[in-house]
Amino acid sequence: MITKTLALGAALAATGLTPLYAAEGDIRVVLSEELDLMEPCMATRSNIGRVILQNINETLTEYDTRGGQGVIPRLATSWEQMDDATWRFNLRQGVTFSDGSTFDAADVKHSFDRAMSDQLSCETPRYFGGMTIKATVVDENTIDFTTDPAQPILPLLLSLVTIVPEETPMEFTREPIGTGPYELTEWTPGQRIVLTQRDGYWGDAPAVTSATYLFRSDPSVRAAMVATGEADLAPSIADIDATNPDTDFSYLNSETVYIRLDHSVAPMNDVRVRKALNMAIDREAFIGTVMAEGTELATALVPPTTLGWNPDVQVPEYDPEGARALLEEARADGVDVDQQIKLIARTGNFPAVTEVGEALQQMMTDAGFNIDLQFYEVAEHEQFYSKPYPTNVGPYMLMAMHDNDKGDPVFTMFFKYASEGRQSGVSDPKVDDLIARASAATDDERAALWSELIAYLHDDIQADALLFHTVGFTRVGSRLDFTPTIATNSQLQLSQIGFK
Amino acid sequence: MLHFLRKRGLASLISLIGLVVLVFFLTRLTGDPTDLFLPIDASQEMRDQFREINGLNDPLIVQFGYYIGDLVRFDFGESLRQARPAMDVVLEAFPWTLQLALITMTLVTVSAIVVGSLAAFNVGGPFDRFASFVSLIGASAPDFWMAIVGIVVFAVGFGWLPTSGTGTVWHWVLPVAVLFIRPFGLIVQVVRGSMISALSSAYVKTARAKGVKSRPIIFVHALRNAMLPVITVIGDQAAALLNGAVVIETIFGFPGVGKLMIDSIMARDFNVVLAAIMVTALAIFLMNILIDLAYAALDPRIRH
Repeated sequence: MITKTLALGAALAATGLTPLYAAEGDIRVVLSEELDLMEPCMATRSNIGRVILQNINETLTEYDTRGGQGVIPRLATSWEQMDDATWRFNLRQGVTFSDGSTFDAADVKHSFDRAMSDQLSCETPRYFGGMTIKATVVDENTIDFTTDPAQPILPLLLSLVTIVPEETPMEFTREPIGTGPYELTEWTPGQRIVLTQRDGYWGDAPAVTSATYLFRSDPSVRAAMVATGEADLAPSIADIDATNPDTDFSYLNSETVYIRLDHSVAPMNDVRVRKALNMAIDREAFIGTVMAEGTELATALVPPTTLGWNPDVQVPEYDPEGARALLEEARADGVDVDQQIKLIARTGNFPAVTEVGEALQQMMTDAGFNIDLQFYEVAEHEQFYSKPYPTNVGPYMLMAMHDNDKGDPVFTMFFKYASEGRQSGVSDPKVDDLIARASAATDDERAALWSELIAYLHDDIQADALLFHTVGFTRVGSRLDFTPTIATNSQLQLSQIGFK
Repeated sequence: MLHFLRKRGLASLISLIGLVVLVFFLTRLTGDPTDLFLPIDASQEMRDQFREINGLNDPLIVQFGYYIGDLVRFDFGESLRQARPAMDVVLEAFPWTLQLALITMTLVTVSAIVVGSLAAFNVGGPFDRFASFVSLIGASAPDFWMAIVGIVVFAVGFGWLPTSGTGTVWHWVLPVAVLFIRPFGLIVQVVRGSMISALSSAYVKTARAKGVKSRPIIFVHALRNAMLPVITVIGDQAAALLNGAVVIETIFGFPGVGKLMIDSIMARDFNVVLAAIMVTALAIFLMNILIDLAYAALDPRIRH
């Protein structure tokens, strides 16, 4: 009797546990965060982008992180600059949306106007800050964009605008309609989202026929799910769980950890103090200990794959004695180097943030700083992070993380270093000028100006204390033929996934 | 009995009103949701507009007035994060937590009473020592640790159970087992203690002297009296589970109200937080009334 019961139990267990793959091409992806919206104009937010970007909703252009080709065509087949201010985009023909309607220039105009509208709080306008931009339909398959001031990187900027049909209302949608190879077929909040390959896609049919997205916030559970075959792909697992070289990939994930210094507040308004701080940090000591192997030391707030990244800029040498001497020198000139400085960090910002904060405090203290380490939740941290900065809390430096996988420093430099930048601690005419000139320049000149800015920020004014370009870990199940890239942090194109 | 119920109901209502006021002001104290919902470099106009649309520009007391007005009409507003009615979001999540709590507490109550009673019947014997040891460990083991160990051993190691999620009956085994451990440990100890004093009381000695058999002594005579303190602990533990087994729901990707509450607090999705608290508070008040009724049924003195 007992044997029978056990056998029955085992049989039931087997039915319950076998991964329910309806077909060879179905995959399961486990993500860390549930989606709150499925809004195409929010696709630059990484949790939303990973599901819908280029899977459901496509863009006119695409930044190629895999082949290194720069900006490549997607829904636009070609583009040209008509004059300084105007770009013309020729659109792909024979494209339909998943609701059956035909894609044309009017859809592009509506998508753009919708994303930029003040009726919606979309993410997109943040990338078009400080400019006016207008879309004009030329004919069904041609659209012009006119900008003021001129935007040499407009084709790159348009890789961030997802296209929706003209009929999409001016309110956030939970049912995205797009031109991509997949459509949304199930969304059970809190549990799963299913995308299914659709007929009538203009491009080649991808190998993945459907993808089920599951959400688990614990990284070890995500890793375990791939190990047991419950999922095929787990982007962003923790380094301590990335123990299987056959399935776990590490890659630079475009995130940079840094300490922002406010140049307007004493004692950080003295360049010697900022330099001393940079010399006080033993950056090498973190790698392979609290930060994962593969982490790179940063000399800029953008990763090395970015245009204009400067290979000549060197990581500051660890020199606590030198730092002490610089502090003494500043003290002799009347700078109050003994006052307490808060080191503000965000809980859970990255896996070892607590250990990194504690080690930094120790290193800075050893070099003669008086540091009070404080951790805050995301919302509290934000109050210190963005302007207007609090003025009644005394001097503080802020540890934060910045993500730029878009290939150009324009998405970083104004906002982090310009006098008017919302998260800038710097107010320097040369910096402002370089940012303005580089943002308006093209090709080699653009790269040269960014390089100059990176060196000036790092070597001359010691703008901040740059720490690490972090690595991410993705576990890829044995069925899949897929290598994660720097873009896996913000998008996951199902069409790039194959089977072994 | 009716009078007793009326009195309890009124007391609960007063607490509920207090909770409504407290929760409103406490959620507002956590800060401005504008910071979290809009991109960090959003313009001042975008911020103003967001605040206007969501009624965050009004003085706090005016916001409170609107909130009470809506509440009376059972309108909890929209979820800022999900752009749909907050109550819908909560009512989707709540049944998961309710089921988890019901299944766990039923198993806990039955097994803890049996184990605790048997341990008390032979104090100091091998079973008592074993039960005390196991229950002590159970009462002190951290859930998140048990959950991860459970996944590593039973899902990854043996491959017997799914790691997480929902879908089949097997998905319930690990979360229920982990949630079972702590209340089981606690209640076994309370049952044991309470039974020991009941078994040493005069009426049990009389029953023994009259030749009543052991089983009826434990389960009929002693248990009824020993249950009063046990019911209190069961109530507390059940309330904790209803309040959302936050850690367990999060680890196992269980779409319950505990996980929802944490996600909503993090996102300052006030309307969902308020709706979730109201629903769980109502459930807990109802459960407390049931417990009072059970108390009254067991001990007639309480009714008077």
